[in-house]
Amino acid sequence: MIRSRVVTLGVAALFLAACGGNTEAPQKKSELSLYNDKGAWSKYFDEMGALSKQQISLGMKPVGYTDSAQYQAFIKASFRTNVKPDLFTWQTGGMLEEIVKQKQVADTSAIWQEAIKAGDLSQDLAPYYTVDGKQYCVPMNVAYWGMFYNKKVFDKYGLQPPTTWDELVKAAETLKKNNVKAFYHTSVLFSFVWFEQLMAGMDPDLYDRLSTGKAKYTDPGVVQVMEKWKQLIDAGYFINPGDKTDPGDVLKNGKAAMVSFGTWFNTSMTQRDLKAGTDYGFFAIPNVNASLPKTSMIFESGPLCSLTKAADPEAGQKYLKWWTTQPAQDKWATTRGDVSANPKVTIKDEALGQVTKDAGGGKYRLVNRYFEATPPPILTAALDGFSKFVTEPGTYKEVLETIQKAADEYWSTHQ
Amino acid sequence: MSTRAPILGRFRYGYVAPAALLVAGLLYVPFLWTAYLSFTKYDGLAPPEWVGLRNFGKLLDDPALLTALGNTLIWVVGTMALPVGLGLLVAVLSYDLKGGVWYRVPFMLPYALSGAGLAMVWSPILSHDGIANILLGVDTAFLQKAPHNTIAMLLVWTWQQLGVNTLLFVVGLQSIPKAPIEAARIDGASGWTLFRHVIWPLMAPLTAVVVGLALVASLKTFDIVWVLTQGGPGRNSETLAVTMYKDTFVASDYGYGASVAVMLTVVTGLASFLYLRRQVR
Repeated sequence: MIRSRVVTLGVAALFLAACGGNTEAPQKKSELSLYNDKGAWSKYFDEMGALSKQQISLGMKPVGYTDSAQYQAFIKASFRTNVKPDLFTWQTGGMLEEIVKQKQVADTSAIWQEAIKAGDLSQDLAPYYTVDGKQYCVPMNVAYWGMFYNKKVFDKYGLQPPTTWDELVKAAETLKKNNVKAFYHTSVLFSFVWFEQLMAGMDPDLYDRLSTGKAKYTDPGVVQVMEKWKQLIDAGYFINPGDKTDPGDVLKNGKAAMVSFGTWFNTSMTQRDLKAGTDYGFFAIPNVNASLPKTSMIFESGPLCSLTKAADPEAGQKYLKWWTTQPAQDKWATTRGDVSANPKVTIKDEALGQVTKDAGGGKYRLVNRYFEATPPPILTAALDGFSKFVTEPGTYKEVLETIQKAADEYWSTHQ
Repeated sequence: MSTRAPILGRFRYGYVAPAALLVAGLLYVPFLWTAYLSFTKYDGLAPPEWVGLRNFGKLLDDPALLTALGNTLIWVVGTMALPVGLGLLVAVLSYDLKGGVWYRVPFMLPYALSGAGLAMVWSPILSHDGIANILLGVDTAFLQKAPHNTIAMLLVWTWQQLGVNTLLFVVGLQSIPKAPIEAARIDGASGWTLFRHVIWPLMAPLTAVVVGLALVASLKTFDIVWVLTQGGPGRNSETLAVTMYKDTFVASDYGYGASVAVMLTVVTGLASFLYLRRQVR
């Protein structure tokens, strides 16, 4: 009996040892893993890995996820285990604050100070990465949101990029008369796009108050936004929200003449061998409310982070520092045909280069993207709500009430 | 016997330990941990904070949960009527046919697909711009409006599950002793009467297994819904399992998600227990 118990204990000890803590000292790594939820960008991450190996003798291999919920669950779990990513992409706003509170995200204040001094990062970007006075992570990307349009369709019907809201609606009307759907929208994930755009173009102050719990989703200003959105849907300007065609193909095939996304959508154009200025173009979406002093433009920035308890935290910091430099950002922006967080980078695409220059020069009122501006529990309810709305526009009041219920619950403990 | 017992006795814990530790580590511990989380507020990062029965109170006041319960009920009833009911029909009609096996093979083929694979295959067919609308010459939002979307997914599920249920019923029919059937035929029973009063009761043990498996599978429906609609639009095609996943991993409300998991476990356990108790009796 004693012997059998000894055997049992032995097996148990082995089992526990296998599951037990890793007490190894930090190792020196020559290649870092970069976990991300941008599976489709693996090719571009690989190219960055090859370049970093050449320039700072530190390679990088991407580990791409395509399901963001699964990705976030993995990253969160890594905070409690020894399987930690060397580098990982995340979101600014509430999501960044949430993980910084766990005191495992590496402080990048020194990198920021140096980069701002060298002109590699703009001071304007720092607030998005600042939690309690310190910076965390560096910009993996930045994006300005506007309208991508199919130039061939526009040319066919004699349309020009609109400069006022009325011109935009007029263009949509012309397209409708010719049996072409003007706009893309979807019930999956990006269901918030038209809400944030209309909010920013009608009342950006209200949008800011909404994201900080100082206004309600049931306020008259928000109801008006939903009514405006409903008008556009009822007018027949949008493709079906259940259409599962990739938005890149929607634009390429002219299924919809216009698709509103961040400048990162240009990568989808690059991947489809479409030529800017010939096949497609990009314009800033005019405000609905013409009396606003500046055109509102949605802005987003996605962070690239490292953890203090990663296998080689020093290498992580070294990589983040390199990531912000001009040689790295030249490559990152050029291969994807996107804009860059580094102001020294020359943007090849004329329209995107202009928008970046204008945004940097203060022409637009930059409005934080809804995804980052909204606390995660409210965002989840809102994404479901807008998804319901685009399918059944008549439900807008019920949708706003449902989102407000989630907002009430959140702000009751977070003001 | 007298010499074997002590040897087994001396090592019996040692033999059982690896398997027992695996079962405990991979099943009981996570289950108890989930049950504990259901009484906490937990975002997956900060330590769980005890909130008592608050998550369960919230369950009662959650319209999305009510929708999920309704949809899960459609899945259960629909699974009994279609994959199981039709499976039985196909089995009864084909089992003593000459070459019946060839008749059943096409029904079996879709079973080779996984749930997610199945949904990927049907996504371009059922989406609004999809093949089904083109072929039927209609403009129907199969996956948009409730309850059409749940019913459409149920039909896809039937397409996959019909074959395996048919196969199980055929095995059941083939294993029935011939004597009682012959005796009933001599007594003049045929068609529906023969099936209802002789074949059906003889098949009861196998039917209990098929229905029991289908009951549990339908209660935990997840993959097909997740891939085809992600429980939307809005939350109108969610099942309990999808609600559990969304609340846990999308909304990062691990405590509330755990309470849905506990509820799903209770519902599945209770339904299986009541059903099997009735069958065993």
